[in-house]
Amino acid sequence: MFKESNIRKPLILGHKTYHDITQDIVSPIEGPAPKQWKIAITIALIVALYGIGCIMYLVGVGIGSWGLNKTVGWAWDITNFVWWVGIGHAGTLISAVLLLFRQRWRMAINRSAEAMTIFAVMMAAVFPVFHMGRVWMAYWTLPLPNQFGSLWPNFNSALMWDVFAISTYFSVSLVFWYIGLIPDFATIRDRMTKPGMKKFYSILSFGWSGRAKHWTRFEEVSLVLAGIATPLVFSVHSIVSMDFATSIVPGWHTTIFPPYFVSGAIFSGFAMVQTLLLIMRKTMKLEAYIHLKHIEYMNIVIIVTGSIVGVAYLTELFISDYSGVQYESYAFINRFSGPLAWSYWCMMTCNVISPQLFWFKKLRTNLGFTFVMSIIVNIGMWFERFVIIVTSIHRDYIPAAWGEFKASTIDIGMFIGTIGIFFTLFLLFARYFPVLALNELKTILKATGESYKNDNKH
Amino acid sequence: MGINKKYWSSLDELQKTSASQEALTNEFTRSGEQSVEAFLSDSKLNEANTGRRDFLKFMGFGLAAATLAACETPVVKSIPYVVKPEEITPGVANFYASTYYDGNDYGNMLVKTREGRPIFIKGNKSYGLSGGTLNSRMNASVLGLYDSARLKGPKKAGADIDWNTLDTEVKAALSSASSVRILSSTVISPSTQRAINEFSAKYAGKVKHVQYDTISYAGLAKANGGSVPNYNFSTAKAIVSIAADFLGTWVMPAAFTAQYAETRKPENGWISKHYQFESNMSLTGSNSDVRTAIRPSQEGLVAAALYAAVTGGTPVSVEGADTAIQSAAAELKANRGSSIVVAGSNDPQIQTIVAAINQALGNNGSTVDTKSGINLFKGSDAQVLQLIDEMNSGAVDALIVYGCNPSYSWYDADKFNAGLQKVKTSVSFNLFADETGSRCTYMAPEHHYLESWNDYSPMKGRTDLAQPTISPLYATRYAQESLLTWADNKTPYYDYVRQTHNSSYVAAMLKSDNNWNMAVHNGTFSTPVETAPVVVIEGNVTVDEALAAAAAAPAMMEAAPLNVNDALNYVSSIKGGEWELSLYQKVTLGNGNHANNALLHETPDPITKVTWDNYVTMAPADMREMGLETSIGQCDCASVVTVTVGGKTITLPAFPTPGQKRKTIGIALGYGRGAGNEEIGKASYQTGVEGVHLMDGDKRMTIGKNAYPLASVANGMVNYAVASVSIAAAEGTYAIATTQMHSTVMGRDSVVKETTISTFLKEKDKKKGEASYNMAVTLPVHEDVNKDGEIDVRDRQSIREADLWRDHPVEGVGHRWGLTIDLSSCIGCGSCITACHTENNVPVVGKDEVLRHRDMHWMRIDRYFSSAQDTLKETKEANNVGTIGAYRLMEDPEENPQTVHMPMMCQHCNHAPCETVCPVAATVHSNEGLNNMAYNRCIGTRYCANNCPYKVRRFNWFNYVTNDKFAMVNPSQDDSLRWVLNPDVTVRTRGVMEKCSMCQQRIQAGKTEAKRNGTVVTDGSILTACAEACPTNAIVFGDLNDNKSQNTKRASSVRSYHALEEVGIQPNIYYMTKVRNIEESEA
Repeated sequence: MFKESNIRKPLILGHKTYHDITQDIVSPIEGPAPKQWKIAITIALIVALYGIGCIMYLVGVGIGSWGLNKTVGWAWDITNFVWWVGIGHAGTLISAVLLLFRQRWRMAINRSAEAMTIFAVMMAAVFPVFHMGRVWMAYWTLPLPNQFGSLWPNFNSALMWDVFAISTYFSVSLVFWYIGLIPDFATIRDRMTKPGMKKFYSILSFGWSGRAKHWTRFEEVSLVLAGIATPLVFSVHSIVSMDFATSIVPGWHTTIFPPYFVSGAIFSGFAMVQTLLLIMRKTMKLEAYIHLKHIEYMNIVIIVTGSIVGVAYLTELFISDYSGVQYESYAFINRFSGPLAWSYWCMMTCNVISPQLFWFKKLRTNLGFTFVMSIIVNIGMWFERFVIIVTSIHRDYIPAAWGEFKASTIDIGMFIGTIGIFFTLFLLFARYFPVLALNELKTILKATGESYKNDNKH
Repeated sequence: MGINKKYWSSLDELQKTSASQEALTNEFTRSGEQSVEAFLSDSKLNEANTGRRDFLKFMGFGLAAATLAACETPVVKSIPYVVKPEEITPGVANFYASTYYDGNDYGNMLVKTREGRPIFIKGNKSYGLSGGTLNSRMNASVLGLYDSARLKGPKKAGADIDWNTLDTEVKAALSSASSVRILSSTVISPSTQRAINEFSAKYAGKVKHVQYDTISYAGLAKANGGSVPNYNFSTAKAIVSIAADFLGTWVMPAAFTAQYAETRKPENGWISKHYQFESNMSLTGSNSDVRTAIRPSQEGLVAAALYAAVTGGTPVSVEGADTAIQSAAAELKANRGSSIVVAGSNDPQIQTIVAAINQALGNNGSTVDTKSGINLFKGSDAQVLQLIDEMNSGAVDALIVYGCNPSYSWYDADKFNAGLQKVKTSVSFNLFADETGSRCTYMAPEHHYLESWNDYSPMKGRTDLAQPTISPLYATRYAQESLLTWADNKTPYYDYVRQTHNSSYVAAMLKSDNNWNMAVHNGTFSTPVETAPVVVIEGNVTVDEALAAAAAAPAMMEAAPLNVNDALNYVSSIKGGEWELSLYQKVTLGNGNHANNALLHETPDPITKVTWDNYVTMAPADMREMGLETSIGQCDCASVVTVTVGGKTITLPAFPTPGQKRKTIGIALGYGRGAGNEEIGKASYQTGVEGVHLMDGDKRMTIGKNAYPLASVANGMVNYAVASVSIAAAEGTYAIATTQMHSTVMGRDSVVKETTISTFLKEKDKKKGEASYNMAVTLPVHEDVNKDGEIDVRDRQSIREADLWRDHPVEGVGHRWGLTIDLSSCIGCGSCITACHTENNVPVVGKDEVLRHRDMHWMRIDRYFSSAQDTLKETKEANNVGTIGAYRLMEDPEENPQTVHMPMMCQHCNHAPCETVCPVAATVHSNEGLNNMAYNRCIGTRYCANNCPYKVRRFNWFNYVTNDKFAMVNPSQDDSLRWVLNPDVTVRTRGVMEKCSMCQQRIQAGKTEAKRNGTVVTDGSILTACAEACPTNAIVFGDLNDNKSQNTKRASSVRSYHALEEVGIQPNIYYMTKVRNIEESEA
């Protein structure tokens, strides 16, 4: 007597054939743009243009058009920067780390997660660039030869490290993403009948022919890039956190920041992926590829990272008191009981308490709940950065210099604007790029009829 | 042997084909090309469209055009001196001694000019009265010179006329007039008085000169035999002030400040004990050792009680003040002859008691000089009243207003204005078409004081000179010359002044009078010529008669001194209402003379730290009772209240002021200028978010409201205390811009250190870092550093041992510049702030930006009120609350708090946190210990500002020079006002960080000067603007590597400490512990 082992649940539902996959992913690109997409991109474009208008006003008039002041030198700008960078963490984590761990379910989500990463990092870059008082001198942060003699940037400065960290991360992510896209572009190229578009995709596909040699190289490069990208996932946000950790501001000067920021970033990144995918799978009818299993896995990542973040918050609180340093301890007491306590409690509720609901399987497999939760987590993570930045510096060492912060319309407009730009880019991506890694997906399609063996439901 | 080998380059050449032969003759072998000769000799060339000549023309033009385009640079025209004045070297400042007198403030100063422009005013330390101290009003007054709203020439009924026409018309009017009145501020200038006398003589019998002080001291003068006594605080060991703000606004505050500072040096082994009884928290009160909040109606009673306690008369009890009065009396009695009692009231009865106390203590002749007194404040309110009655009855034909503005500042301005309407001919000498000037028939504007010669005799035996530092900017004329012209005397005023001091002066003696020349150089006469006594011409007497009368009774202008017993009876009958009001002057704005001075508006009030506004000061507890907003900031607007005094109402925001006596309120005078939309300067009006004046109908909105109408006249004296007012919450809210949000120090003892005099004296001989009140910060380490065999809490290391960075090589090498700031001496007056502003072209940004906490002050004065308990632990224990609750409680100041003023500027840390975080190394350390800011390199990330624990870095949020938002307030945006900018300091563009440079330009100039002279930089030869302006020498600048410098001595004294020493950033600014003269139990 023998017993057949249980058959694993398929990663792609719905008895798809290879052709079905190609058809599902590529036909939306070939067909006319759906009305929903047109509406969505119009809205996104309007918001984006408003944001660009705000940026132009900012550059034209000065940083004074933000609500910053002599005490609070950074507020929404760096909050948004860290928030966007954080969001930009999930993509590379999914594509690189999960690749190394051979998590094949990642294939359904990695493409759009990576796109999200790239766009999010682009949005993140907007803030540190435009927060400069003299943005036209921004290139001075680069170690370029110059006419000032041997004048170098200050390599002691964490902002300097940021420049390198973010640009490296962006370029590696972009290359990684693009390499993955090449075979898919080739597929589109091969199917495309319109000559202009055919030319477009043939340029993008770099003459991919699908030969075995190409595939070998493709896999090797992917693996190498995954190896390079993996440490970057951890280094970028560690370095971003050093903007704060290497300062002497009570509430910023904390050694816990690097791991705490990285887990926070993954936390918010996954939440953003959830937000985007839940919309995308619905509107682009990708339910067969992105299904509950993916959602649930990602929710589990959210619980884990959310809990790490929660522990970090509590550790910070404890250490601040245990340190016996009055400035340090006051900084944290002020966080939760001072004039900006509302933001602290908002952060705590959104980031620590609410993700714990995902312990209930019913909730973490509920799409509607997951969607709401993903928004809440992103709000919470925005507040986390706001709390760290603003509540620390608005009351630091010298009580006479304590101040308050009030956001201006340009502050808000720029933030909303980057969301608009982000969605514009993402919608363009969804329209013209293969949203799923279709050729890779084909590798996880169950190749035999065995899958039907005990499963008659399909 | 010759070379006989042949080389060939191709087979063709070897074979000598025809093509190769041709190629040998023709260098340019490609087909279609020809030689230059062939080209030039081509006859078809002339037929070509572009001929050779054209080609050359185009070439030439192209070359010339390209050259011209490349050469074009912006042309900045600077016009050189055709004949360079001997004393001017472009780029080098000149200083001229001069004197400031505006009818209220008096000071001896040096005016710094650059290329003929006065740009900075500092005290005349060598020859000035009390060390030539100035206050912020005086050192900021240089802005007034360049105000583009000044009258540019004479006017009649608002239309321009010329001086000749004006003279003809006014003379005709004066001749036909039967009564001429001169209304002026107190005249202390002998020459001016001569001119007035000459004018009076010309129109003999019809002229009467009435002197009017905007802020009246008539009561004080009356109680002291007709003139305000001359006080000397410098030897007073016990000081009692009953509502006299003698450090801020009372009588001669700048001089008193310097004298007072003499008594606050604990290193002398003693400091004065200063008691203050007052209702509003004044600058003086905030510096007192014992401050007792009383009601304005109790001022007399306090005086009476003190008198009783000092003389042993029938004890008088004052509710809530008995302990302080007994203690004050004991101190006074213990220091007979070296104590001083002053009162701010204008009630002669109260002043009589105070005079009697000083008399009883034997202070007359030592600290109080009633015999000769001072010449300031000779105004008579009674005469002004009489004049206004005369005017209203139509009896005055001509009125000359000189140096005063009664249409604004007289308590019953409406009546004055009504009277002015009835005057046939009125002339104003004022610089602006102000409230009074614009109502006069003629405006004959005088020169600004920086454009004028003048002489002043502030007191007997002293005559100071004012000299012009710039040619008159506009077609203005000396007031004195106007008077003389109308008296048919054509002498220029300069000659006239010289004649006053040397009757034999003729123009040929221009430079030969040594007494005069030294006086011009020093700003004062070393041997003053006895000038004619300043007399007031009364009624129909001639000058000679008046002089004779004055000689006969030198101090008999007012009635004989009052009787003390009557006064005691009188004060016990003073009744107060439920709410009482005390009108006061703000230290920054004074009596309203400087309403057009944006810099003074932006200088925060020393107590409330409010800029650009006046308000009702109220006790926070009262405000909470009335449900008014007590936490005021960008997000929380102040509540508005209506104050009613005898039918007159004034609506102002309410501002919580700890130390304010419950159920009393204070309102500052000097605000609400230009209510009739007069042209008194752009900065006098409220500017909105968009940078345009806010309008109230068709009139510009004034800054604050005029509180003078709330004063009253009792017994011929203006009374600034109102015994009965009613106050009610009004509709709406009002945004108030403060530069400091938080009032208490939150138990952070490394920010402010203080001790008592007894503790200080006990531990005087300890080394720095060992005194109980100023222990050096150490860190416990896990090593047996004290070698006692145990690792425990006693193993501690100096904070400097724990450091990530290498030391900057500044200690012991070359110069190491630094400041020491004595918190005991600093009274918080703010002179340093205005000096820093004018020296360093610090932008003035206006109310809206201050409201957004974006003031640009390079230095500020942090003011801390004490909370009920000093530390977190004490607060927790005393109130039985947890940490959070305790911190909440510590945020609130006490009802009557102790105050600390702490000047705060860049600390020039040797391990500066700002320097490490700048991504482009725009802020770097100099090898002289300075934290330098390279504006050109700054890209404006603001990381340095965030990382600065002192929060002293200021970011250029906008381009203050061109942005329309600042058009009304920033001097650099006004065509003439920008002349006040210091050419040694760059005006920063937007997007860069700026901060205190420790007056780098002055250090550089000082070093250059020393180098040129071949000497070393001597201690005191370089001074920062703040150190120079400090009237109390609280701020001292010097080389910390110079072991003999005053600064090094102070920095190494037992009192000196670094603010936030435990952060380990090693500042070059040292603070010195504040020492209070109180018992340890009161600390």
